[in-house]
Order: sequence, then structure tokens, then C-alpha cells
Amino acid sequence: MKYVTSIDEREFLIEILNDRQVAVDGVVYNVDFESLSDQPIHSMLVDNRSYEASVYPSDEGWQVLLRGRLYLVQVEDEREKRLRASLGSGPAEYGEFHLKAPMPGLIVAIPVSEGQEVVKGDVLVVLESMKMQNELRSPRAGKVARLRFKPGDSVEQKATLLSVV
Amino acid sequence: MFNKVLIANRGEIAVRIIRACRELGMQTVAVYSEADRQALHVRLADEAHLLGPAPSRDSYLRIDRLIDVARQSGAGAIHPGYGFLAERAEFAQACVEAGLIFIGPKPSSIASMGDKAVARATVAATGVPVVPGTEGEGALRDAELLAMAPTIGFPLLIKATAGGGGKGMREVQHLEEMPGLLHAARREAEAAFGDGNVYLEKLLEGARHIEIQILADNHGNVVHLGERECSLQRRHQKLLEECPSPFVGDDDELRQRMGAVAVRAAQAVDYVNAGTIEFLVDKDKNFFFLEMNTRLQVEHPVTEIVTGLDIVKEQIRIARGRHMRHTQEDIQLSGWAIDCRINAEDPYNHFLPSTGVISHMILPTGPGVRVDTGVYPGFEISPYYDSLISKLIVSGETRGEAILRMRRALEEYKIIGVRTNIPFHQRLMDSHRFMGGQYDTRFVEERFSIEAAEEGKESQADIAAILATLVAHEQAQRAAHIIQRGERDTTNWKWVGRWERMHR
Repeated sequence: MKYVTSIDEREFLIEILNDRQVAVDGVVYNVDFESLSDQPIHSMLVDNRSYEASVYPSDEGWQVLLRGRLYLVQVEDEREKRLRASLGSGPAEYGEFHLKAPMPGLIVAIPVSEGQEVVKGDVLVVLESMKMQNELRSPRAGKVARLRFKPGDSVEQKATLLSVV
Repeated sequence: MFNKVLIANRGEIAVRIIRACRELGMQTVAVYSEADRQALHVRLADEAHLLGPAPSRDSYLRIDRLIDVARQSGAGAIHPGYGFLAERAEFAQACVEAGLIFIGPKPSSIASMGDKAVARATVAATGVPVVPGTEGEGALRDAELLAMAPTIGFPLLIKATAGGGGKGMREVQHLEEMPGLLHAARREAEAAFGDGNVYLEKLLEGARHIEIQILADNHGNVVHLGERECSLQRRHQKLLEECPSPFVGDDDELRQRMGAVAVRAAQAVDYVNAGTIEFLVDKDKNFFFLEMNTRLQVEHPVTEIVTGLDIVKEQIRIARGRHMRHTQEDIQLSGWAIDCRINAEDPYNHFLPSTGVISHMILPTGPGVRVDTGVYPGFEISPYYDSLISKLIVSGETRGEAILRMRRALEEYKIIGVRTNIPFHQRLMDSHRFMGGQYDTRFVEERFSIEAAEEGKESQADIAAILATLVAHEQAQRAAHIIQRGERDTTNWKWVGRWERMHR
């Protein structure tokens, strides 16, 4: 199986040859890969050098925490890469932004109102969790739509709070 | 004299206090909320009593319930820990009235130091220098504050009168932005402390936050245990503490001067038990009284390591009416200690709190490492309480050794299930400014970014790429067993549309 894996601007062509061997840009490595007790923590021996990392899925790709540093990694097999190339840019660039609660909490304030124009960086919602007030900001310019909560409401993690269209 | 102690707290500090009680041969009574039935302090204590529902105001802040539990269980004393009711004079008073010993200062000392404005006035009266600000009166209106602001000078800080921990605090650069910030500060203070009163204080630039630990017994003896350096903060929340301070360093004359002032401040309010005097120190080594914390501090372990004293046990001995065993001459600082606060916060995403179940955890061990924690694998970090998971404390003969040891320990520490600020501390340990001890209270917010710190570092992108690919591959293989690829019954366009609607 061949994958095109990218980190920032760098691309790696990674081919999984068999259970023990991986080719990175044509160079073959002996790889011993173990997932530790069903946790997102992995141990990997690459030509006997020992690495340990946690790997989580996220909306933007895989997050690899390795030796105290976070890498955001896109992994695509060849078919996915062709498909994406034919689609052009992804829908996220022109789609709506839906602000989701990053954690459960209590809405303290919503300094914007329905239909209000906002710019990137404007505070949309102040959410209190773990005794801290967290300002959730808009990642882009647009108009506030579909306000679903009011100050004083408790929200679950990942609840959609409002949209920026 | 009491030999059973109720611990009116949760998390790592409840565990810390239970340990001290155990070592002194005392029985322990834990209290817990509905969210904390499985918490470590409940498991470790001799007895545990339910207080009420998860929100603090229905559980850990219920003075009446705590007093009831103490009576029922036959506890003779209550240790409040930090946070929650630790600095509420009415709680200490309620203990006294119920015939219980409050392991801490007298209610009157808490009251006079608890109102920051009164504290500044009291301390200033004894000749201790204070940071310029609106002293004396607690409840000024916005109009009065706005009128006084230019006389103090900008930049300045709006601080909650009942405050602590950075809540209800705002920084003001210009008069024009002040009304909005006053409103926000009052709102936060009201929510956190039930008291929306604020005061103003001049913001000293390039200042360090250095505090002195004191111990006072019931017989008029007061000693100080040297300083702690607490300048590394984010949004006025401390992230890392050191003892001694690299700024004070070899200047024992400064240390003793600050210590003597701290002792005087404590005596001014007839203080008993452990307490901390916070100072701001400018680059010319002028120091100003900031506030007194009338309780055990989160960061007390660094002082314990360097002085060799067990502060929590000393607190209990003092509460039992014992004479202090140490004179000022006995207190010697030896070696170096650093404490990293490990919080459930994502350093890559604006330090947003992270909740969830800790599925896996490997604690650092080995020479010179101490971990104070209240969590274990399988425990859920809930949104109800603060985000402190643990304190990682290391010691070394020198500061250099302590930094290298901290690096090693951070690398060993694995917490899976919630995001933590461990990578932030790792980058901090690599920072040249940190290594050189060249930092002030603004360093983390203004001159340190985790992204920039990662930029120059040797990248292991190839290894990360292989790891992610193998994980993705495993997942795809598993999925292939469940559903055959390419069998989606609609076009991709329809599917994208549905996906978008679904995620609204």
C-alpha cells in the first residue's frame, strides 16, 4: 500500500511493503510497530532506534506528539490524493464555520448578535470551564448566524454554538 | 488534642494533606462531590463523606455540610487546602464556633488579608512598601476608579478585591479601554468570588513575582523559609515555580531583607500557621508588597525540598499548639527545586482546557523526582474543577542539574486521554532565556511562543510521518473489514452536502 504523507510543506511517499518493512521515498527501513495496550500510544523501532509517540485523529489530520513536539500529519492513499486533486480545494475554504464548544461548560457571554458582521479574531462566545473563562474567537470574517444558546446555558462538548457565514 | 482531620478539598492537595496526616499517625476524613466518587483522595482516606452535586457551590463550598460531616465523623480539625474555602474568613469562623480547629490562620487574619485593599493599608501602615494603587477603600464605583486611574498612571491592573488566581483581573493600557475592561473584570469577579468589587494597581514593568513562605506558631514565633520565584505565568496563572529564585540567587542580604519584611507583614495581622507574602520585585531589586495568601500554596513543595521541612506537617503541628521546632537560624536553603504545573490544557490551541478520561499514564520516577497528583488512569477530568492534573517537582544540587532533570522527567511523563501542557514545559526548558534565568512576569505571554520555540529545533518529521501512516494504515485495514470501499450509494457531492448539514 502506498501513501502520500505530508507535514507542513514536506511530502513523504511511504510504501508499506510488509509487516516489518516500510519504504520512505524509496529508502527501505526495518520497522517494528506496536500499539501499547490499545492506547493511542505507540512504540516504534526503526532500524532498532526506539521512538514512542501518541497519535490522535483530529479534524485537520493526524496529530503526532513525538519527543515533546506536535506534528500535524496528512495521510492520503493514492486514490484519495487523485480524488482531492480533481476536486480542487476542499469545501472548508468556502463553507460555513460552525463554532463548536471545545469542552463542556457554561456560556458566560455572547458578545455578538445574530446577523452581526465579524472579522477574524473577534470574540464570539465566552465559555467558562474548569473555573476559567475562555474566549472563543472567529477564525474568519463573516456574518453571525444561528445563535443557539444564551448566556447562562450549559453546553456539552462539541455542541454547535453558532455559525459564521 | 485532635487526631482526626477532615480535608475540605479535592485533587492533588487533598492527597498531599492525607499523606501528611498518615505520616503523623492521624485519621483522615475525605469529602467529595457526586463527580468525585472515584477520586484518589476518596480512595486514600480512612473515611469519605458525600457533600452534594458536582458544582462547587453545591459541594466543596458548602460550609454547613462540611461542619456537619466533621461533627458526624468526630474530626477535631479541618484542613482547607487551597482554593475553595481556604481563604474565607466565615469558614474559619464557622469551624471555631463548632469547636473545631481550623488548620490555618485566625478568621480575623484571613479577613484583613483577604480584602486586598485592607491588606495593603494594614501592611503599608507598618512601613512595608506597597505597589501604588487604590488603597484603603474596598468598594469604589467605576466613576471613582476612572477618575483615580490617571493619578496612578498607565499601564495598570484592575484586580478583584476578593480575588486570586488571576480571576477578575484585567490589564489597562489606556483610559479609553478602561470602562469595558472594568465591566469584564467585575463580571468575572462576581462569577468567581460572588463579589464584584475591584481595585486598581500600577503595573510594574519588567517585574518579577517573588514570594516568601512564612510559618508562625501560637506562641509568637514567626520564621520565613526563603523565597519562591513565580514569575512564569500566563494570564496571571502560575505555570512554573523555582526555589530559590535565580534573580535573588546569591544575594542573601536581599533574601533576608524580604524575609524580615514578610515576617513583619505577618505579625501586623497577628498571623498564625503557614502563609505567603507575595512581592513584586523590579529590576533594581526594589520590592513591593502585593498580597498575602493566608493558606498553603500550590507551589509549597519547592520550598519543602530546598529547606527540608514538611510544610503541611508543620501546619498540623502548629494547629495542635506546638512550639515551632525551628528558629530562623535553623532554616538553610540547600540545592535547587523546580515545579511544573501540569494542567489539562492544550498548549497548541490557546491553552483551552481539555476534559476526558485519562486512559493511560506513565509517571516519571527516578532520582530527584516528586509528583503530587490526584489522578490515575481511568479517572475522568471533569469540567467542574480547575485544570491542575499534577505538579511535577524535581530537585538538583544546582539549578542546571534541576533543569536537566526536569527535561528528563517531562520526557518520561505520559498522559493519554486529555491534552496537557507538558510540551509547553518542554519547550520552556529549552529556552535560553529560561536557562539564563532572564525572565519576568510578562515572559510567557510576550516573548515565548511554543510554535516559535519548535521552529528551530531538529525535526523528526520523517519519523512522525511513518508513525501517522502506520496508524492510518491500521485503521484503514480495520475499516476495510467492516465496509467495502467505494460502496457509498450516493455521489460524493451529495455526501459532502449531507456531511456539512450534519455538522452544523
